[in-house]
Amino acid sequence: MIAYLSNLATLAAIFGLLAATLNFMVGQAGIFSVAHAVFMGLGAYAGAQVALLVVPNPLLACLAAAVVAGGLSLCLALPALRVRGEYFVAASLGLQMMAVTLFTEAKPLTGGMGGLVGIPRPSLFGVVIPVLPMALIALVLFLVLMSAMQRGSFGRTLGAIRDAESAAEALGKNVAVAKALAVAFSAAGAGVAGALFALHLSFVNVESFTLEQSVLVMAMLIVGGTGTLLGPLLGAVLLLSLPAALSFLPFIPPTEIGSVQQIIYGGAMALLMIFRPAGLLGDQKRGRSEA
Amino acid sequence: MLELQLLLGGLQNGALYALTAAGFALIFGATKVFHVAHGATFTLAGYVFIGAWNAGWHPVLGVLAAMAAAVAFGIAMERFVYRPIGRHEGGFFTVFVAAFGVSIVVQNLIAMVAGRGFANVDSPLSMASEVLPELFLAPVFWISIVAAVAMFLALTLFLSRHPAGVALRALAQNADLLRAYGLSSSKLSILAFALGSVLAAPAAILTAMTSGINEAVGNHVMLISMAATIVGGVGSLRGAALAGLLLGVAEAVVLTVLDTQWAEGASFMVLFAFILFRPSGMFGAAVAR
Repeated sequence: MIAYLSNLATLAAIFGLLAATLNFMVGQAGIFSVAHAVFMGLGAYAGAQVALLVVPNPLLACLAAAVVAGGLSLCLALPALRVRGEYFVAASLGLQMMAVTLFTEAKPLTGGMGGLVGIPRPSLFGVVIPVLPMALIALVLFLVLMSAMQRGSFGRTLGAIRDAESAAEALGKNVAVAKALAVAFSAAGAGVAGALFALHLSFVNVESFTLEQSVLVMAMLIVGGTGTLLGPLLGAVLLLSLPAALSFLPFIPPTEIGSVQQIIYGGAMALLMIFRPAGLLGDQKRGRSEA
Repeated sequence: MLELQLLLGGLQNGALYALTAAGFALIFGATKVFHVAHGATFTLAGYVFIGAWNAGWHPVLGVLAAMAAAVAFGIAMERFVYRPIGRHEGGFFTVFVAAFGVSIVVQNLIAMVAGRGFANVDSPLSMASEVLPELFLAPVFWISIVAAVAMFLALTLFLSRHPAGVALRALAQNADLLRAYGLSSSKLSILAFALGSVLAAPAAILTAMTSGINEAVGNHVMLISMAATIVGGVGSLRGAALAGLLLGVAEAVVLTVLDTQWAEGASFMVLFAFILFRPSGMFGAAVAR
């Protein structure tokens, strides 16, 4: 039971980090990406390769993950500079589909469908440490960073771009750099979450980085509420405990639990958007005009 | 000959993409709703036809049932999802998330009811025969081309000649002015959704007859429709249809050098290139920024 709970807590911290970084992109910068799992995947593969080939040092793995994911986030930043709204969602959706193909085919780097197996336990200075404390530290670190940025000049620049891009540009804000930085920061966070995910499971394959995963992270954000600090965490905890809660219901056949779970969160997304578009913790008045 | 074979296959797929994309573009142009659940319409129509076929119905009845299901789903989305969100002035992302949620529900319901994995319809129409040396074509090829051309012509005629079609075009251009003239924009929205959704039905049926469909096919269809609408230029049905055809052929051309799993990548590269270099698309006027 303790092992089960600590596993759930680790996953909640990892997915909380994913949802919170996606929130930074969506809520702060107004860049509506449905390709967050791509950067989680890049980070997971980078972190796993570092642990497999170099040393199972979690700090090094996270650093490599952040650099790879943040660097390749340019793929997402480029279309974000050109188009907004529906167009960008379509572009990020395409990127997600493309990335899954690449992850499956680049077998030397990712192991394809078979994935990377036997990732060693993370250890620091020769001591094996569990992933849970590291995930919690990473989560708190990113949350503090993000709330600092939100209040600082960078966050306000992003807010200005989100609300009126031309006006922000007219006031001398460098829109391209601000957007690219926001995307890179968010992707780096997702990369760190991916590396921790790989170290935690000691196995990764492409199945964890599909469109479904991106949508799950988005659903966590939506359920919790975009633009809030704690909303994404609440969403992550709620949606991760859903499968566990469902398995206690005797009348659902075990083979259909996956489907029922997806139906519940798909339905929750639709119903929330119709009746409470700013999420559970969101400011309802604000959500109406911009979300 | 392999190249020609693949090219003709690409044309067939492209014709079906063109139909689906034209439906998506019609809805987006007239109502400004990015109907992400269009893929779900496609999946639903395909499975209704397969169900009717397996139950031993006459194929014509099956086609009608599939079309009815598509139209009913489209109208239901308009009435129960997009309209309430529009009433409290939700932004595009609200609409996108809600439609995406519904797509997930539809996909999983279909998986639970019809089972996972590929389902298709075996009919003599999908049997390929050698028309030229080393060139195989099934009757479905001709049906796809004819169906696409016929439906597109009918749609163009309707939009240019019939009063309701003209009103739809007016709605696309200026909804406020349309209301000022006393026409009902909500009735016209329903018409747009019905027309757009019905276009997905034949494409779904013909896909079920050739390569088969699975419960997740909607994602692919959704991506193709969105890509074709953007590549074609928003507001241009002709552009969307042409872009759908182009994407189908592009996928086939990619197959001559790479494996099948890269086909989707080809569509994405075309979309990406257009977004980076020509965001207004082939026939679009204004750049959407």
